[in-house]
Amino acid sequence: MKALPLVIFAIVALAQWAAPLSQIWTHEQTLTQGTLIKLKCSAPDPYDPLRGRYLAVRPEQREASVPAGLKLESGTRVYATLTSGADGLATISSLSLTPPTSGDYIRVNVGYAYESKATIEWPFERFYINEKLAPEADEWFAENIRTSKGIIAEVRVLNGRAVLADLSLDGRSFREILKERVK
Amino acid sequence: MNTSHHRWLLEQLPKWESEGLLTTDAARTLRERHAVDASQPGAAQIIMGSLGALLIGTGLITIIGFNWDDFSRPVRLVFAFLPLLLSQLFSLRVMLRGDATAAWVRETAALLQALCTGACIALVSQIYNLGGEWPDFLFWWCLLSLPLVWVMKSSSVAIFYLIGIAEWSIHQVWGHQPWHASPMIYPLLLLGLFPFWPGWKLDRPLSITLRWVMTISAICGLCAAAHHATRMHFAESWGHFEVTLWQWVLTSAMLALFPLSSSALDATSRHKPQVILGFLHLLQFGVVATFLDMGQELAKAVREAWQVPWTWVLIAVIAAFAVHAIFRRRWAVLSVASIAITPVLALVMGETAQAVLPWLMTLHLSLIGITLIVLEFTGRRGAPRLGAALLCVLIIARMFESELSLLTKGLAFIVIGVAFLAFNICMSRLARQKQLPQS
Repeated sequence: MKALPLVIFAIVALAQWAAPLSQIWTHEQTLTQGTLIKLKCSAPDPYDPLRGRYLAVRPEQREASVPAGLKLESGTRVYATLTSGADGLATISSLSLTPPTSGDYIRVNVGYAYESKATIEWPFERFYINEKLAPEADEWFAENIRTSKGIIAEVRVLNGRAVLADLSLDGRSFREILKERVK
Repeated sequence: MNTSHHRWLLEQLPKWESEGLLTTDAARTLRERHAVDASQPGAAQIIMGSLGALLIGTGLITIIGFNWDDFSRPVRLVFAFLPLLLSQLFSLRVMLRGDATAAWVRETAALLQALCTGACIALVSQIYNLGGEWPDFLFWWCLLSLPLVWVMKSSSVAIFYLIGIAEWSIHQVWGHQPWHASPMIYPLLLLGLFPFWPGWKLDRPLSITLRWVMTISAICGLCAAAHHATRMHFAESWGHFEVTLWQWVLTSAMLALFPLSSSALDATSRHKPQVILGFLHLLQFGVVATFLDMGQELAKAVREAWQVPWTWVLIAVIAAFAVHAIFRRRWAVLSVASIAITPVLALVMGETAQAVLPWLMTLHLSLIGITLIVLEFTGRRGAPRLGAALLCVLIIARMFESELSLLTKGLAFIVIGVAFLAFNICMSRLARQKQLPQS
């Protein structure tokens, strides 16, 4: 057995581990050290053949103001500063091409820009759920998505990276509510 | 002869020897000449091994899809990495055993590892609720699986990779992709398979299945690249699809002219899918271009296509391949590939190009049809039946376009049909006469 194929195999095997491990590392950092941000959202219930059922999470805020003099194009990566209101829900207060020096911010892509506004592509869009709970989750969403309280996406934010940690309604975790409903 | 033919022949030899049909020396010579390389898996072995690996891999992905959210995150991560680790250990064992391992086991191990890699990435992204698009996932999955093709000499992972990069290229046509995330890099991705064949002489022969998959993948990838290049050049404005269509014709010419070694030239047509598929597309384009209505669209498309750099890349590659084809005396292939260049010749006529083009194409196709027939009768490599069929199609096309009465058209079709059948019979007799002196 020649050594070169074994060396290449070892590198491949390490790369196959490194790709998911690097994802785990950055997302664990965000989950454990990131600031909790709450966003009001809307969501239907689609399916991914590889990763199973998920709720497509869409924060209500779809566009933000573009500061004067900042020229944005479709696909540009910008930093969105998040500011929490009196109700505890966060909104994008400003956009910039460089990371802000203070406050919580996330990296987002610009969908398209027009006049002084730009549509935002949020960096999270899916919340995966157990196949057994999916039909109940679907119903729960339909019942609550248009209520005044609405469904809240709880997102951990660190150094521009965002990880969707949970969904909640009236301060209670979505999974807890679903498990009670299924019983 | 393919591997199954060799195997059949080797199975018959002992019987023929015992019946006295063959001497021991003749049987030994045949055994040496038609030896089957045991390290190369048979099609059935690959299919069975791949099917087993596919079922296990799909099973893992489906179990992942259930989403075991009763377990903690670390436990679910162990679920993600355990199959990958086991498949890697299996592959390592197969590699260490070397030639002692059956070919189908090697194929199964490689494909299983590739599938477990995809399942692991999918599960991690499920656990962390990562978004991401299917093409991005597919791209990284393919790249992480590619080295398995080299080190484990796996045909099934090569097929997976070829399908994967073709699918990725088609997805990337749309949107605002920079060049390094667009189908323009498809040729580089295809070159990634190069170490699969050791040495510059490409010593490892390709199976027919792999040849066909590679050709279809190349068609998808290169056509996607052409479409993307045109879209980007014209800043996505509408009305330039004809430019892409002509670039696809140039791509077909390039594939048909792809350089072949002397032994590959002597192989049967089904060993050369790039020639078959290239011919089909070029001839279909040629016949469509003979219709008078098409002249204007085509002339406009060719004029605009010169502005797109991808067209120049295609022309340059075609020129290089054509020179090689001339040295190899591939006259039939050269004559059919020249269909792609006919619209350019029409442009020489300036403003009248759109009126001239259909007639020029008709003349060109007629000459090709006659050439393919004449080549055969002058002892060179021709394609008389294809030539005759081409002439028939041309006459039928002109009949459809003409304003002759239905009776005249009907009679003409009957005459053409009879002439075609008579030609076929003549060719069959000629082929039989050629075989007689040898037997």
